[in-house]
Amino acid sequence: MPGRLLIQMFVLFRLAATATAFAQPSSHDPRVDQLAKEVRYKGWIVYSARTDKDDWDLFLIRPNGSSRRSITNTSEFSEMGGRFSSDGKRLLYRRLPKGSTFAHDKWGIQGQLIIANSDGTNPVIIGGMGEFPWASWSPDGKQIACLDKDGIKIYELATKKEVRRMDRKGIYQQFFWSPDGKWFCGPANQYGQGWGVVRMNINTGVVNSVSETKSCCTPDWFPDSRHIVYSYRPSNQEVIDNGEMARRAGQKLEHGWTQLWMADAEGKGSLVYGEDGCHIYGGAISPDSQYVLFTRSYEEDLKVMGMVAHPLGSKKRGAPMALMRLSDAPTIGGESKALRKLHPRTKDGPLLQLPECWEPHWTYADIGIKR
Amino acid sequence: MKRNLRAFDFLSRFSFGFLFLLIGVFSSSCGKGSEKGADHEVTTLGSVEMTARLEEIPEAFPPNDLYNYAYVLKYHVEQVHRGRVLGDEIFIAHYNPLKPRSGVQDEFSGKVGGTLEKFRAGDIHRMALEMPLEQYWMGGIVDKYFGQKGIRYWAVWTNLTEK
Repeated sequence: MPGRLLIQMFVLFRLAATATAFAQPSSHDPRVDQLAKEVRYKGWIVYSARTDKDDWDLFLIRPNGSSRRSITNTSEFSEMGGRFSSDGKRLLYRRLPKGSTFAHDKWGIQGQLIIANSDGTNPVIIGGMGEFPWASWSPDGKQIACLDKDGIKIYELATKKEVRRMDRKGIYQQFFWSPDGKWFCGPANQYGQGWGVVRMNINTGVVNSVSETKSCCTPDWFPDSRHIVYSYRPSNQEVIDNGEMARRAGQKLEHGWTQLWMADAEGKGSLVYGEDGCHIYGGAISPDSQYVLFTRSYEEDLKVMGMVAHPLGSKKRGAPMALMRLSDAPTIGGESKALRKLHPRTKDGPLLQLPECWEPHWTYADIGIKR
Repeated sequence: MKRNLRAFDFLSRFSFGFLFLLIGVFSSSCGKGSEKGADHEVTTLGSVEMTARLEEIPEAFPPNDLYNYAYVLKYHVEQVHRGRVLGDEIFIAHYNPLKPRSGVQDEFSGKVGGTLEKFRAGDIHRMALEMPLEQYWMGGIVDKYFGQKGIRYWAVWTNLTEK
């Protein structure tokens, strides 16, 4: 009889332990370890994040989160918006005096444009405050395209001379030149009641919508120049928790949650990653199109959501960055009852959690750092 | 008694006459609409100055704790004070319309302001405007009248004239 009791207690203990294991976040998910191992030596990620000195620096890390290092390390300035040139040898970014507030949707027009080696050495000031807004690399790295109220302007980097000017046709921020050099993309007005992501043919200036024309922004190119990753907040999202998540985040019930989407050039879109209770921004594709990086908002702090870095509003270092395989798209995180109803067939692949950051970008090039 | 009644009758007529006179003067001043809502900014900023009635607010304005945006509203033109405007129905984009005009200006907006506290359908605003909108605001625009032809103006200064 005591033996039987012991067996029953053992079974109950095992059941409780199993239930607890399922309830835990997947920090020990072996698939995450495998993903980290897989991407360990696949180049470098650059991102900006708050430092212990309360400014923002640019950092490099390996895609598994190792070998983190600050590459700007300036105490009198904040740096942000790092983008590798296509050969991975150089990096452009913007620099502001420390203490400046940088805006999640206007950062490209703030501060000075700097171009440095990809390891942060030899930083060169390209223009004055606010000059060369939304600078984006040409494929050969010899030109930059910029965006201001007067239009799109292409400059020769060596001479800083404007060599071409085009109508911007409603594009207004987060403006990027495609890797094949044939297109621009960015969020734009004029194509619907709100803003959506468009691409523009550089030769003809013709624009077509790539996303819904409401609440779509922060686009970036896939390496094939035929697909775009972007953030999208669909309208009329179901509130099934009596608005508890929205209340925790301090946002209106009807606002909904921003998800990461991708679309082909003609605008056929699909969900990449979503999570009720979080806003997903900062989508960046690996150079071989196998992986995607993004940032997730803190549930309780929208001021440091995936796209918002607001030095005055929060003391966090950025928003949590994650990496997933694109072959695992669509993946939905967390319980996300409402989102799962809309997307019942998801793959729910592993997410590799990376440091808090803002606006990551990825290169596979050898940038001269050994470790 | 009769004298009292006559005096009362005289006073009543006089009072009514005076009242009508006051109403007349007031209406005439309203009809001109010249001074209501006028201040230094609205009469000098922008290339167009007008008094117009806000026809409707098509939906609750989106929150702008996450985004700065301009919102296009439809107005019926009451009077054009400066510049040239075609038609009597126009579209005007206001920056972050949830905020009182006195505090709406920020480092990205350029000069914007006014005395208007809150947008209400039917109110009459005196405004200094610029156009085309894209030359004055490079950011998100919500335009519920997308598809309806017409210039989109940028509201530089917005004063309330009457409700």
